[in-house]
Amino acid sequence: MSGRFRAAGEVAIVGFAHSPIQRVADDPLGVLTLRTIREAVADAGLDMTAIDGFTTGALFPSSGGRPLRDGIEIVTSDWIVDQLHVQPRWLCGFQGLGQICGSVILATEAIASGAADYVVVHRAMYNPPGRYHANPMTHASGGDQWSAPHGFWGPPTHMALTYTEYQQRYGATREHMATVVVGGRAAGSQNPWSHWYDRPLTRDEYLSARMIAEPMSMLDCDIPVTGVGAFVLTSKERARDLPHKPVYVAGYAQGRSQSVNGVPPWRLDDVEEGGRAVGRILWENTGLGPDEIDVPQVYDAFSPFVYLWLEALGFCERGEGFEYVQDPGTSPGLTFRTGGGAIGNGRMHGVPQMLECYLQLAGRAGDRQLAGVETGIACQAAPSVGGVVAYST
Amino acid sequence: MTTTDESQARPLPPIPVPDELSAEFWRLAAEGVLATQRCTACGWRAYPPRMVCVGCHADPPGFEWAPVSGRGRLATWTIIRDALLPGFAHLTPYVVAEVELEEQDGLRVVARLHDVPEDALAIGLPLTVQFVDGGEGTAIPVFARADS
Repeated sequence: MSGRFRAAGEVAIVGFAHSPIQRVADDPLGVLTLRTIREAVADAGLDMTAIDGFTTGALFPSSGGRPLRDGIEIVTSDWIVDQLHVQPRWLCGFQGLGQICGSVILATEAIASGAADYVVVHRAMYNPPGRYHANPMTHASGGDQWSAPHGFWGPPTHMALTYTEYQQRYGATREHMATVVVGGRAAGSQNPWSHWYDRPLTRDEYLSARMIAEPMSMLDCDIPVTGVGAFVLTSKERARDLPHKPVYVAGYAQGRSQSVNGVPPWRLDDVEEGGRAVGRILWENTGLGPDEIDVPQVYDAFSPFVYLWLEALGFCERGEGFEYVQDPGTSPGLTFRTGGGAIGNGRMHGVPQMLECYLQLAGRAGDRQLAGVETGIACQAAPSVGGVVAYST
Repeated sequence: MTTTDESQARPLPPIPVPDELSAEFWRLAAEGVLATQRCTACGWRAYPPRMVCVGCHADPPGFEWAPVSGRGRLATWTIIRDALLPGFAHLTPYVVAEVELEEQDGLRVVARLHDVPEDALAIGLPLTVQFVDGGEGTAIPVFARADS
């Protein structure tokens, strides 16, 4: 590796835990999060007293217009620290999109700089009662006044505008996308913690799915769930003394906020241009290239993101993602998301991508373990506004 | 007096709330005029309104509200079959589009299409603005086929 990121290989994931993924959890989200964090710390072979850093990106994208309560709809690291009643050396929240990537970036920089030795990164996701993005607003203020009075509301409708333009420009159809969605569900159906465990999907089921905002159907969106993922990170020196094979942070890249025009947030030209920039930064920082990535876990909360990430990172050319994923030589439909991604697990906001990188590179992926894997990438959100972290053994 | 008027029971579409940046846009819309911000230094147009001109970054920024012709072309669209805003449920299916205005490359307005059949939807379809009642004295731009 000869990338610009000097902390490559200096910080490692050393343990993880994942709660069950459920539509409605058996416990309050805060309780579930604390439990999952304790399990991750134990998995790393550590005691909670060793943890001296905490971070998360708590941003919850939709609340049906209700206020957010810490410990119930969201769980910040501040809330965790308050329950544990400890004074960590380092406590930081990530503000922005690509929340799990941003949290890993903050944790990596804290450990590499010596600001913390053992950091817990968690991500807690909540499925609110009622419909996920439904909003009873009677008036539209601020940014909403440019969308809601037009009947334009919710991320699936945003994605639909991007996806229509992509389909029209490049010739992609729902038949192409069936490969992505059926592939994600096939992989997710093998994950015991997945909402879709043991429930794969057929192409016909995908093609006959109910339309929400054409061309986006129900099955082009991940299903809202409640669940928690937690990871423990530390330095490579400290990682040597711990039970599991370390998986190192090799570098990362982040997008930048919204498009120039703001409404809608993911205009195809902006996603393509911004995504290419993120790709350049990733490969420059890591010294790697797409041909060297064994476990490419692109984001898929909305199915078109799969094409857009593959193109942004240079796995294929612009406008060729929909054909690239059809080729069994490069992709049996599962290659990009052996863990099932968000479509295969539930709306866990990038946790499935990061977890699959960790499990595969740590040799802990069980029945789906791939041989000889040394590098992975985990993406979240739109390529232009989210983040991507590269991992290595 | 009691009433059984359906429109009073049905949820209404969200009504725009003008603010410092948007008041002039909504005032002009109520007069049937579609306008965008235009930078007085470089002429770059912005929609929705912005604080700072991306074209020239003039400081202090100088934006004016300048009418557009209301003509544009269909850039992309979605057919809403399941409205997440209760006030639009009775309108489903309806089409939300990005319309690229003729004044500037990439200058796009998100709005509903009015009376455009689904089989007529195509990139580049010529469109022209109309206004519908938005409630509380507001008017909302929608777009119809330019040849209709």
